[in-house]
Amino acid sequence: MKFLKKIDKTQRFLIVIIAVYCIVVASRNSAFLSLSTLFALIRSAAGTTILSMGVLMVMISGGIDVSFPAIAIFGGYTSLRVCMAQGITNMFLTFLISIAIGILLGFGNAILVNILKLEPFIITLSTASVYFGLMTILVGTKNVGATDLPPQFRTLSSLKLITTTNQYGGKIGLSVFIIPVVLCIVLTWFILRKTLIGKGIFAMGCNTEAARRAGFNVNLLRFFIYGYAGFLGGVMGIIYIAGTNSVNPVSLVGTEMSVIACVVIGGASPSGGYGTIFGTILGVILYYLFNQTLVYLGLSASWQDFFMGIVLLFSLITTSWQRRVQNRKNFIYTE
Amino acid sequence: MAGTNNIVVAEHICKSYVGVQALSDVSITIKEGEIKCLAGENGCGKSTFVKIIAGVENATSGTIRINGREMTKHSAKDAINEGIQVIFQDLSLFGAMSVAENIAMNKLVKEGKPLTNDREIKRIAKEALDLIGVDIPLDAQIQELSIANRQLIAICRALTLDAKLLFMDEPTTALTKNEVDRLLEIVLGLKARNIAIVFISHKLDEVMRIADSITVIRDGHKIGDFDAAEIDAAKLAYYMTGRQVDYQHYHRDDAAEASLLEVRNLTKKGNYEDISLNLRKGDILGLTGLLGAGRTELAFSIFGMNRPDSGEIFVEGKKVTINDPDDAIDLGIGLVPEERATQGLFLSKSVNENVAAAILKRLKGFMGNINSGKSRDLAKEAIGQFRIKVYDEDTVVSTLSGGNQQKALIARWAASKPKIFILDTPTVGIDIGSKAEIYEYIQKFAAEGMGIILISDEVEEIVANCNRVIVMFNGRKVKEYTEEEMLSPDIKEQINSLVESGKTAGKEEAS
Repeated sequence: MKFLKKIDKTQRFLIVIIAVYCIVVASRNSAFLSLSTLFALIRSAAGTTILSMGVLMVMISGGIDVSFPAIAIFGGYTSLRVCMAQGITNMFLTFLISIAIGILLGFGNAILVNILKLEPFIITLSTASVYFGLMTILVGTKNVGATDLPPQFRTLSSLKLITTTNQYGGKIGLSVFIIPVVLCIVLTWFILRKTLIGKGIFAMGCNTEAARRAGFNVNLLRFFIYGYAGFLGGVMGIIYIAGTNSVNPVSLVGTEMSVIACVVIGGASPSGGYGTIFGTILGVILYYLFNQTLVYLGLSASWQDFFMGIVLLFSLITTSWQRRVQNRKNFIYTE
Repeated sequence: MAGTNNIVVAEHICKSYVGVQALSDVSITIKEGEIKCLAGENGCGKSTFVKIIAGVENATSGTIRINGREMTKHSAKDAINEGIQVIFQDLSLFGAMSVAENIAMNKLVKEGKPLTNDREIKRIAKEALDLIGVDIPLDAQIQELSIANRQLIAICRALTLDAKLLFMDEPTTALTKNEVDRLLEIVLGLKARNIAIVFISHKLDEVMRIADSITVIRDGHKIGDFDAAEIDAAKLAYYMTGRQVDYQHYHRDDAAEASLLEVRNLTKKGNYEDISLNLRKGDILGLTGLLGAGRTELAFSIFGMNRPDSGEIFVEGKKVTINDPDDAIDLGIGLVPEERATQGLFLSKSVNENVAAAILKRLKGFMGNINSGKSRDLAKEAIGQFRIKVYDEDTVVSTLSGGNQQKALIARWAASKPKIFILDTPTVGIDIGSKAEIYEYIQKFAAEGMGIILISDEVEEIVANCNRVIVMFNGRKVKEYTEEEMLSPDIKEQINSLVESGKTAGKEEAS
């Protein structure tokens, strides 16, 4: 009940859309309502969910990061190549390499934002390019086929938590991806809601100067925030490579905007200070519902962008309208 | 009455920045449970003094004893540990966060526990709110609250850290009269708990009423400590500005009776109802009442930004419909809005661009380009005429003091030579010196044949400048004082008591 009270307007709106969409799809095609759809959805949304947690935190702090796909692929692909070259098969070490790279690159973002005091958007836009370019020079961009992947990647890719058979007798299962996803969500929730650092992140998003006056070290907080986004990028890099089963290191670049769109649809304020984990997850769910299930409606996947755009636009229109009504009351004319 | 223990004893404080002496030889003592008013014009050094006591900046020379201990080069943290808290004018709150989080935030940071607990946060907040006897929902977001309530939240936040001395920077500027009364009651409650309060103000207003002592600073020098009971507004103004400030009373000499602007039965639901007024050349028509009386809304309607539901507007006898500010400007109407920063000025632009903004049509060359030479000359002329203190016409407006910003805005409309000029509370947050100058301009405009509507909360301002006055309450016109009535010697008391009576009526309605 307490949880229900906490559901805000955006979240209600998204729940309604998701519910209506599911009902429509299910009524058109009964194959939609099955465990295999759910499992496929979770597996494909895993990477984006992890990244979205980082984007959410950065956005709440009043910043923005568009370099996370570059960080993720830098971490994941470098870790892969190192493992291949050194014959490393340890899962833990594989993640560790990727995460260490991710955190370092995140710190790079924080240093630049702190020193240059420019919009994080242009800073991370340039670091995205720098990071990706650096990886191309240092590690290369050679495609790695499924058969060449080290065993830990293949295990990660195929390991199932629960397996069952569907009505056609095929075996389906819940990917082990759910574990890092849940861990990342819980960790982000804990940091944002239960720690002083979390309060500081919200505070600086609302009013950086006031956060400073309250005693927060805002520069240090930025290290944490961008470092954490880098950490999640590192985790996602490995999941991504395992998930696609063969790697083209160029493919992840350019996906940043869809992740940001998920977070914005989830109700996070692009100007900072507000955002919820639940909303963000709903945003990601909606994105992957469109991504995975439009075929059930007989529509091609290219409709996905269109629907996502409509939902985003609609939520922006309502926000802007509410603000306008509010401003009008205070005699601020923004148009 | 104030206790005998001194919280802060500052002696011979000097502070110089590169080339500027901000404070010289200022000695101030603040006693336990004392309410002090630190008065002075903008830029006199009072804020610098507060920053030094709060440890944000250090004095160049001089000694400071806090709670009996000498702390000359102390940090902000030291000051907070000694119970010194500053409530800045912008309040430094977190708009999208809850009341509870805002109140508890500083205490949480000070304690530095890495984990937070929602129940603990609410307990801290509740305790602080109870201390001042206010009930505000703990889960509400700050941005949903009125400015007055936000102020109370800022006070509560200071109390969570066991404040012994509270500095409040211009706390009453954005409050309505009722809210000011409530704030003052709370401040008296704090005083009863032996907390010292220092108001920083350049206004001779309500805070003076409850102050025990007043310290005046001018140009970085302390002019003196005064017993609040022994000083009156005129004397205080003299000490603050260093010159005799008395406002010239305005009398209309124009014989023309033709109406310049006539408003008939103008109504907008929820804003104002059935308002009629008539403005002649040379009139300065005062509009007063309480905040929220519908005055600003009415002004916006005349300026084409708030469409009325019914009623008629006539300009020079012709019926007009004013759909947007462009129409209003074409009809010769100018407006200096209440919120000069958000509604009036282009803060990040130069004085030149701000002055030229309302007359771009006249500055247009034959290709539709703006004649920048002409605009520049005009800006220079305005700077000279209105004595705007700037380096040159390219100075960015946001760097100017409130008074100079307002003068730049008035200069803009003066350049457009309006026939009808509406000024909405033009002297709020402006020092006395600039205030007198603004009155001078208003009266000069009127004497030259402009019709002026002056919206104001300050009865003194109304009485000094207006030859006719309309009093509004809850969107209705309750009384119009004629030119003859305005000449009565006790007119100020009359208007004051009418406004006061409306205040009590408003209170009853609210409860």
